[in-house]
Amino acid sequence: MVGNRRVDRDTVAEIQEFLYREALALDERRFRDWLDLLADDITYEVPVRVTREGLAEWELSPNARIFDDTKETLEIRVHRLETDFAWAEQPPSRTRHYVTNVVVDPTDRDDEFQVFSNCFIYRSRGDEPEPSLYSVARRDIVRRVADGWKLAKRFAAVDQALINAHNLSIFL
Amino acid sequence: MSTRVLDAGTEEYLRKIREGIRQGRFPVRVFNDEAIHEIEQERLFSRAWCLLAHESEIPSPGDYVTRYIGNNNIIVARDEHGVVHANLNMCRHRGNQMCKAEMGNASHFRCSYHGWVYKNSGELVGVPYMKEGYEGRLDRKEWSLVRVRTDSYGGLIFGCLDPQAPSLADYLGDFRFYLDFYLKQSASGVEVYGPPDHWVADTNWKICAENFAGDGYHTPVAHQWGFHLGYFPSSGATHSQGWAVSIPGKGHAIGLGHSPNFPPFGGFPDDLVEQMKQTFTAEQVEVFSKVRTAVATVFPNLSFLMQPLSMTPGEPGVRFVTMRLYHPAGPGRMEMYSWCLVPRDASDEYKTAAYKAYTLAFGQAGTFEQDDFENWIKVTRTAKSTMARDLEFPYIMGMESQRDPDFKGPGHVVRPYVNDTNFRNLWGRWADYLVGEV
Repeated sequence: MVGNRRVDRDTVAEIQEFLYREALALDERRFRDWLDLLADDITYEVPVRVTREGLAEWELSPNARIFDDTKETLEIRVHRLETDFAWAEQPPSRTRHYVTNVVVDPTDRDDEFQVFSNCFIYRSRGDEPEPSLYSVARRDIVRRVADGWKLAKRFAAVDQALINAHNLSIFL
Repeated sequence: MSTRVLDAGTEEYLRKIREGIRQGRFPVRVFNDEAIHEIEQERLFSRAWCLLAHESEIPSPGDYVTRYIGNNNIIVARDEHGVVHANLNMCRHRGNQMCKAEMGNASHFRCSYHGWVYKNSGELVGVPYMKEGYEGRLDRKEWSLVRVRTDSYGGLIFGCLDPQAPSLADYLGDFRFYLDFYLKQSASGVEVYGPPDHWVADTNWKICAENFAGDGYHTPVAHQWGFHLGYFPSSGATHSQGWAVSIPGKGHAIGLGHSPNFPPFGGFPDDLVEQMKQTFTAEQVEVFSKVRTAVATVFPNLSFLMQPLSMTPGEPGVRFVTMRLYHPAGPGRMEMYSWCLVPRDASDEYKTAAYKAYTLAFGQAGTFEQDDFENWIKVTRTAKSTMARDLEFPYIMGMESQRDPDFKGPGHVVRPYVNDTNFRNLWGRWADYLVGEV
């Protein structure tokens, strides 16, 4: 919260729905639709988490990233998924993004909101009976634009420091 | 280091594997076999020099990281005088894990069970109830943390559990010529950009070690998307150009990919090229200037890759360097550590660009890494079946090839870059350790 300002309920509801629709685009593998939901100046980051003592200065690395992306590099990733040679996603992962605990705070810009959410991701591949599960803390910036909303920043921290998956060929 | 005595049948089996490798055959079984995994722990990882850390991970007094050699968790710490120590992460009193964080800063470690206190060098300095309990019978000097022998090269800190093993310099041998390409790109060397990506995968460390020992063969297929869309500065038609270099009797190997018309030292900023021309020998400059891709394994489980990646198809792009360590976590299971190394003296702009190229291509979400791991877990799983596990793979490319007489670097150098020579050398060395003849 900035000062005593609160975000009105309609805005919170709209942002929640925006996040749900974003998750739906990912889970339905409509990656071009997903790119459309991202601002052109988006930063998309997944930090490296390190197991540290409780009083350590940081636990999420200030500079090391698993994803360190811009719109340009996210477009490269999506372009790659559209070829026949993205073996990591052939056949594709089946994902389900469960977005919960959405908290919306104002920022010093009227058109932007800081959005905290939990995202639990279920990922199933092929005939493997064991899914990969990712518990993710998101700290997003969501921006109001003329015809709706855009994701202006995603900072998605995976709770595991030693991540239990052979790769991250999905989006968090 | 004591090693288990194996039965005659197992010893004979290991010798048969070694003989097969010499003839260009490699057994499928070794990727998932529990006995092989145990023998590797005792005879390979207990005797070879293994990477612990890069010195830039622990730059200040008190800095530490915890890492593995085989199945041993090791504290790697810099003491108050700047000296690096490696010790088994186990209290000598009742065996509790001393340090539970992966990295941090501490002058001392205090056990959370009965409170024994050690300096970060490993020396035991505090024992509760020393007088009342031990009545003067405990000599603190005898109960330091268990020390691991260390040595370093080019900023890499290695550990070795075998006090009788030859020196690190001897172990690396002529491979240092090639390691310099990754470790000495600026006058003051390289540094880690940040802590490594760290993940687990149901695959075997050996598959990764082999791939990075110079598998130019897989690239146009496994990473076809990069060729197809133009982000990878090579083409299927010319991709086999380059050299495969192995160091006989050491197991280390490097693949050096060359693209016609790729500019000398392409993808490096000019100021770094100038520094490299100062730092490297004339022979190193001659060899490295022609290299587009340099992909190497330091036996047994440490690898490097230098590669340009362009965000704009057709352009040389930006060079990045990744260092990776494959921790054998069980038969058919491993932990991956993946770092990005950047030249210490480079501009922040170049470091950031190189890191961005690295994350797009490698690390857990890297577009090249993703496809490699997909292939590697499938190889590992397929290799488990009753039909598969008694089969062998062919390692016969380049059996007769002669050393390239024009190449200025040391080692056994053959062309093309698509070759099994490096792998036979790597697995030959692996088998030497398993039979106990090193």
